[in-house]
Amino acid sequence: MLTYLIRRILLLIPTLLGITILVFGVMAAAPGGIGGPLLNERGGQIGGANQQRIREYYEKRYGLNKPYAIQYLRWLNNISPVGFRVNEDGSLGRIAVKWPDLGESITQRRPVSDLLKDALPVTLILNLVSIPLVYVIGIVSGIIAARNRGNAADVGIGTSQLALWSIPTIWSGVLLIGFLANREYVNWFPTGGLTSVGSLDASFLPSHVDGRWQAGFLVDRVWHLILPVVCLSYGGFAFLSKLMRGSILDNLGADYVRTARAKGLNENVILYRHVFRNSLLSLITVAAAILPSLLGGSIVVETIFGLPGMGKLSVDAVSLRDRELVLGLTFVGGLIGLTSMVLRDVLYAMADPRVTYD
Amino acid sequence: MTKLSASEPIGNPGKPGPGETDSTRDPLTVVRRSLVRQVARDVLVRWGAQIGIVWVGLLVVLAVLAPVLANSHPLLMKSKDGELSSPWVKHLSTADCTLLVTAVAFVIIVLTRWRASTKVWLLLAVIVVTAITSSIFVKQRFTSPDTYRDRLKSGEIEWAARAPIPYSPDDRQLDDPTARLRSPAGRHWMGTTATGADLASNMIHACRIALSIGFISTGIAVVIGVVIGGMMGYFAGVVDLLGMRLVEIFSAIPTLLLLLCFVAVFTPNLYMMMAIIGLTSWEGYAVFTRAEFLSLRQRDFVQSAIASGVPLRSVLFRHMLPNGITPVLISASFGVASAILAESTLSFLGIGLGVDEASWGKLLADARSSGGTFYWWLAVFPGVAIFLTVFAYNLIGEALRDALDPKVLKN
Repeated sequence: MLTYLIRRILLLIPTLLGITILVFGVMAAAPGGIGGPLLNERGGQIGGANQQRIREYYEKRYGLNKPYAIQYLRWLNNISPVGFRVNEDGSLGRIAVKWPDLGESITQRRPVSDLLKDALPVTLILNLVSIPLVYVIGIVSGIIAARNRGNAADVGIGTSQLALWSIPTIWSGVLLIGFLANREYVNWFPTGGLTSVGSLDASFLPSHVDGRWQAGFLVDRVWHLILPVVCLSYGGFAFLSKLMRGSILDNLGADYVRTARAKGLNENVILYRHVFRNSLLSLITVAAAILPSLLGGSIVVETIFGLPGMGKLSVDAVSLRDRELVLGLTFVGGLIGLTSMVLRDVLYAMADPRVTYD
Repeated sequence: MTKLSASEPIGNPGKPGPGETDSTRDPLTVVRRSLVRQVARDVLVRWGAQIGIVWVGLLVVLAVLAPVLANSHPLLMKSKDGELSSPWVKHLSTADCTLLVTAVAFVIIVLTRWRASTKVWLLLAVIVVTAITSSIFVKQRFTSPDTYRDRLKSGEIEWAARAPIPYSPDDRQLDDPTARLRSPAGRHWMGTTATGADLASNMIHACRIALSIGFISTGIAVVIGVVIGGMMGYFAGVVDLLGMRLVEIFSAIPTLLLLLCFVAVFTPNLYMMMAIIGLTSWEGYAVFTRAEFLSLRQRDFVQSAIASGVPLRSVLFRHMLPNGITPVLISASFGVASAILAESTLSFLGIGLGVDEASWGKLLADARSSGGTFYWWLAVFPGVAIFLTVFAYNLIGEALRDALDPKVLKN
């Protein structure tokens, strides 16, 4: 197991390299190259000498006048924990152990790590609320469907969940905002953002201030999160429920269930104590796939609801071709995705004694 | 089409379920029925698949007949000096001509009694020939759509037979300043867009993008995935190790983020978009094919094919592939749905297709103005269209899986 784990973790390195090379290559192959839009945008409106100075600054800062391979190696050197120190003038110093540096966003002029630090909690909150919801609803409805196999309930649950799964997030998001957060129709929810004006100064829990009831920070945050969480989660539980149904049915046909029945065990005991636990095994496999896809899904949700998370950040970064930010985002996103894949395999081996990797 | 050679276990779709070998199958169900025909029969009896196929068929009809159904140029008109003319024919684009000719050829070829392979080849030939000739000879003219309305009003045109929706998708009704963002009423069945174009007309013309993106990008993804996955499964070892890294690279980054990178950087046209979606969604097919090939290459019929000196290409694609393609086919149907979803999401985010291409996602994006006004018709109609199309493909995929999955057959 340990050997397997070490092997897997070592294999992460070429994959991560591949991810960044792929994204870097795409950005470099763009018309005008990596520097093109940046230099035009930043230097376009300013007069000759200043423009020249800005161009020189950026070329030095990001090595834009160097060949692409050198630029990539430079970026790699910056993010690697062991590497050359970079001097002020861009020349390379001696090899040392250093803190990984994701660089500075070209369009926002802030360190990429700062931007990520701001954006990550928003996406995490969204996902941490959605994932349990997705799992609970998915598992429960999967069990109901499996118990009523072939009945109207099963067919109904199956079809309606396939329909739910097919509803595009872009549509549900626009409809929810348009009808439920609109003065012309029902104005129950905020149109976007994470907090209302003033709620940051309010107390955390609901309270009475000066004889007036105040909603407080928590209620306000929940109120803002309801619509985005609905959009993010409804597709997932359809998928999980189908999976749960399938694996329960598989297990119900297994020999150990026949033995349990032959012993005269109650049907409920068989389902919840024997079959249920074994059926959860297949959900572990999916958990890893769901994590990156929820991150991807939050791109749409965050853009529609104007939440300042990783998704919004990546749409902005990509459309402005902010190289450092895009590379930083894909690096972190890829790391999360790959780690969850390794975690899945390890969890699977831990949960199922039949699986060994030696 | 999948073609089975005699050495292979016919009628055994996919890998056999646990504890089930070829010999335990009822021999009666195995007799001479091709896999394709059997699957088609199993799929078509399911109501989910029927609904899905009807909807996709409707979209195909709408896509082919778009220039007849929604066009600013009259189908037939008589001018004051008694001259009959059909302006819509002169304003057909290359794609219009190719689609119309192909559709007519398809109907004729289906009605004949030739062999299936002849029909397929003939149809492909017709498509290629018309596409080439029409791209050379068809020169699209531009006449402002307003002129017909003006000339009808002034009596210069005596009468005109117009399309059911007398607006082209790019007809911005410059002669009517109040035409923008009108809710559904009167001549505009589904209202108008922010530019003053008719929504219904845009919706009909956008069918083409949805259909073509779905099929072609999934086709590209399947081909890439099957080739890479087949290599990985057959050669195993180092090839497998390297291929798995490639698969991991593509599956670790959220697909949407990868798509965003490609699309934002290349500002694509329709064909580029198909290629990009295909290039970023092959990894699932590769994993399926790899798993199938890993188990297939131990089987006797593959070993005997190798031993009898069949060339590698033939072993991989004629002997192994037809027996290992099932999971790929099933997920390809879901893949069509997600390709359509990907295109409309990108168009919605404003980094998709160019301005002159009508796309459901782009129409949907206009539903919310920056001022907070909500134009419900721009949300409801394109949204319903995306939803129904995605749902239809998912239903077909579900039916296909039920029909092909040996476990379900056993139950």
